Order: sequence, then structure tokens, then C-alpha cells
Amino acid sequence: MSARISGISGKVGFNDLKQLPGFWTRKLGKDLYEVFIGPQHPGSGHMRIIIRVDGDVIVEADPDMGYVHRTMEKLGEGREWIKGIPLYERMAIHDACNVTLPYVEAVEKLLGIEPPLRAKYLRVLLCEINRIAAFLYGFGIFGVFVGHSTMYMWPFGDREVWVELADWLTGARLTHSYPIFGGVRRDAPEGFTDSLRKAIRYMRKRLEEYRKIYVDNPVIRARLEDVGVIPRNLAIELGITGPNLRASGVEYDVRYNAPYEVYDELDFEIPVFQEGDSLARVWQRVEEIKQSLHILEQVADWLDKHKGEQIMHDRFWKTAPPLYKKVFQETGRVKLVPVFALLKVPKGKAYARAETARGEISYYVESNGANKPYRVRIVSASARNAIVFKYILPGHRVMDLPTIYGSIDYFPPEGDR
Amino acid sequence: MPPKPVPKTKPKRGIFHKFKGNLEAIIVGVKYFFDPERFTLVYPKEYTKLREGYRGFIVLIKDKCIHCASCARICPASAMKMIRIPQKDPKTGKTKMVMWPVINYQRCIFCGMCVDVCPTEALYHVPYHDVVYENLAEMDIDLESFTKPPEYKTAKEGIPVRYVIDEEKGLVKVPYKEGEEK
Repeated sequence: MSARISGISGKVGFNDLKQLPGFWTRKLGKDLYEVFIGPQHPGSGHMRIIIRVDGDVIVEADPDMGYVHRTMEKLGEGREWIKGIPLYERMAIHDACNVTLPYVEAVEKLLGIEPPLRAKYLRVLLCEINRIAAFLYGFGIFGVFVGHSTMYMWPFGDREVWVELADWLTGARLTHSYPIFGGVRRDAPEGFTDSLRKAIRYMRKRLEEYRKIYVDNPVIRARLEDVGVIPRNLAIELGITGPNLRASGVEYDVRYNAPYEVYDELDFEIPVFQEGDSLARVWQRVEEIKQSLHILEQVADWLDKHKGEQIMHDRFWKTAPPLYKKVFQETGRVKLVPVFALLKVPKGKAYARAETARGEISYYVESNGANKPYRVRIVSASARNAIVFKYILPGHRVMDLPTIYGSIDYFPPEGDR
Repeated sequence: MPPKPVPKTKPKRGIFHKFKGNLEAIIVGVKYFFDPERFTLVYPKEYTKLREGYRGFIVLIKDKCIHCASCARICPASAMKMIRIPQKDPKTGKTKMVMWPVINYQRCIFCGMCVDVCPTEALYHVPYHDVVYENLAEMDIDLESFTKPPEYKTAKEGIPVRYVIDEEKGLVKVPYKEGEEK
């Protein structure tokens, strides 16, 4: 192999290749076994963790990702600006609005436009609905990892409530393609906020039941407490993000540190746990769902007070023909002016980030003035969290692996991009 | 009012935490054993009547189309294509090529951008998504079938139901009556 790899000089042979992450093998000693977990293992998702075990104790772990890499960044360079929105959604379809929002924001920065206030509130509305649904999805997977079938069925059932709400708002269950340059695509339908309030009250009741049957259950607690501890300094060193970071005692949330949309106008808390173990990470997510419900209540009140306001920026709405305005009045659907298809974005660079359910996602967008992006660089939350396995798995028993994997809430398609 | 970080702690373990925790878990489990929350859809005996605005299959209204190709240009998956069909001009009597949109459902991702971008509302979504095609070639729709709503083959004899959000039960399955929009 003649490819040059940084750090290794001269011609690269097979033995050098073994030094690369994902290729690590070495002579195993007495009582030392190598176990490949994934990528076909139902527990691991589309990733592989290579662990070396001494008896039952993990001595070395090597997270090997990249099985669902789809070249999102390169694909984005060959498409018009607007076509990036349905594309980047595919990274984490159950968190679609959060994942695409920074891309839309970055392009809006280049275009020099800001969406109307109602559009911002509608974006926050879908973001929080997505966040709750994504947390519940994570709970479901976590539940089945630790062998708690009830916790597998319940969150997936309750997630359906939020998916149904998102479906009603946007017209699609998962791939919403909802935020768009200059605003959003649909207004909240009649009666939506009432159903939302019902769902909020229902979810509060359910969280209490989750606590009783799962989080505070002594059987589960014994398996999660003091397992997979990420100390505060290690969490910062590794650069992990999202609820995992906050569960280790770091006050970092993009919604708090660099507020986007209308998060600085809303009253909510950023829960921070100190312990950093698997149980703290579960509690972190439970508390964050509570805060998301609190945000949704405020958003619902605001939307009720400001009905019928414009949800598309004037640049794309002022010149719209009367038919467009009639359709918006009747169905709440924002029709796109045909200029969207071949939109030319002014030359420049922009950066935007957002807090998804799994942590911070950031987009760097560069335009050379054409109708396609010159470069879109994405750093997703799961890509930053994957490294954790290497550092916290050693020392634990094999039975702790699903507990740690589930509590980190790693999502391979998002990490691989 | 801006957000603020608030330190939280896991609930403390009391002296009787094991007894209390097990008892609570069992009580919740028993409660749902006798009063379960179920909303399984027994498909095809019943099917969901989706709300107006659902992004289902796409239909063309031929009279409204102005052959502008906006839908084909915005399609992120290149599912919508323009084809040229020879057509007689009624005024001059000459035959000329006219562009019409057709769709390939093998590629369509149902993002609905074509419907939103159409300047004359010549495209619309049907609020259902369970359509069966017998082979892949059938999914490449020609102009004639694109102007008709696709045939609803799978759950024709089922009962239409709709999911409604309920405060106590989460999602509740209610039978759908024609003309009732909720």
C-alpha cells in the first residue's frame, strides 16, 4: 500500500496499518481474549467495539466507527443549497429539526436575512418536540440493553405521541424538512397547541412512572450506579458534548452559552449533575425532558397570542403572488417562490451551531457565490462522544458494556455522517 | 428571561430504598397489567386516516400546469423529471413539444417541496401512503397515471381510525367519521 499516512514515514506496510485506529491487533497473552462487539450485534448498532478481556474484565477497548458513513459533506457540495436540508436530515432522522437547523441558520447568515419571530418560535417548537422524541428513543434502546423490556416498550409508545404531533405540524413523521431559509414551511394548525398541552401533561405523569419502574428501581440502580464514571476533567479533555458532558458537572449547553433562535427569551434551566456515572446520565435526560416540556408550554402560550403572523422572511414573501398568500391563509402552508430552486448565496463563510438531543452540532458553510455550496463541514455530537468508549470501558466487566453504551446514547448514523 | 444552569443531584438512597423502590415498581407494573395503554393498529383490518396536509403521494392537475419545471428543479432526490410530449396547439394547429412533469417513486422522499414550489398549485398530496406496486418499473409513473390519485390497494376493506392525543392515555385510537376534521 503506497498511501501516505500521517505519523508513519516511508512506505506503509500491513504491520504499520495495524497501528491505525480500528485495525489494532496485538499478540494476546494468557487469559486475554479479543471480543468483537458489532457491527452486526443487535446491541451495538452500526458500529463495532473491539474489546480485550482478561477473564471478565475489559482491559482495552477500541471503538471502531464508520460503517454507515455516507459522505454527507461531499454530497452536499453537488447539490443546490435547498437540497441540503433533506440531505443532512438523514444523519439523525428522529432529531431532524435540530440537526438541520444550524445549516439553515448558517445560510441565513450568508444571505443576511433573519426569520420572523413566529418562525423562530415554530422552529423552537419542533426542536423541542424532536428533542423529547430523541431522548425517549434513547431510553428505549437503553432499556432493552439492560434487559428491561417494559422500558423498551413504554418510551417507544410515548415517543409516538411526539411523532404524531410533529406529523400534524409538518406533514411527515420523521423527515420533516421543516426549517427553510427565511422561515419555516408550515404554520401550527388549528387546535395544535391544545393537543400539545395535553401531551405535555401526559408526559409529566409518565416521567414519574418511568422513575418508579426504571430509574429508581433498585435492580436497575444497582447496575447503573457508579458504572462508567466520566470525571469532569476527562469529559473536558475528551471534548464530549451534550447531556453526557452536563452529567459530569460541566455547565455547557449551546442554548445557554450561545443562544440561537429565541432560547434567550425563554425561561428554563440547564440541569447539571456532578456524578458522571450511568445513572446520572439517565437522570440528566429525565431532567432535560422536563425542561423541554417547560419550554414547550411557553412556546404554546406565545403561539396562541400571536396567531396569523408572517412566518417567511420578506425577501421571499413580499413578491409572492396573491395565490401564495391565499394558500397560506387557508392551509397554513408556506409556498416557496421558484427562486429557491436556484438560490445563489453571496460569497462568504458562516458558522452556526445548535444543541441536538445528543449534544452540540456545528456547521461551517462556505460559499463562492454559486448556486451550490463550496464546502459544508459538519461536526456532529455523536462523532465527538464516540471516543468515550476507549477511555471509560477499561476496568469494567463485560456486563457493564451495554449499560455504558446505552447511557452514552451513541447514534452511529449521526456520528459517521 | 435567559436560561440558567441549575445543579441537580440524584435522589438519595434511604434506609428502606430497596423495599420502597421494588414496591413502587411492582405497583406501577400491576396497574398497567390491569389497565394497559394499547394503541396497536390492526392493519389491514383498520388503517389510519391521515390528516389533511400529510405529505403522501403526489398528483398533478393537468389543467393548472404551466410547464415551468420548478418542481423538477427543486426536487432534492431527482425524482421529478420533465418529459417532452408532442402536442397540437389548438390555435395554430401545429404540433409542438410540451414539457410535463412525471415522478419516479423509487426516488421520491416525500419532502413536498415540489408541491410547495408550484406557482399555480398544480400539484397536491393525497393524505395516504400505503400504496402497493407490484414491480419496480411500475413505480416510475407516466403522465397519465400521474394525473390520477394512486389506487389505494392495501386497506380498502379496513375501518379508518385516527390517533388523538389524550391527557390520560397518551394516544387514543378513535374511529374516523367522514367529514369530521379533528
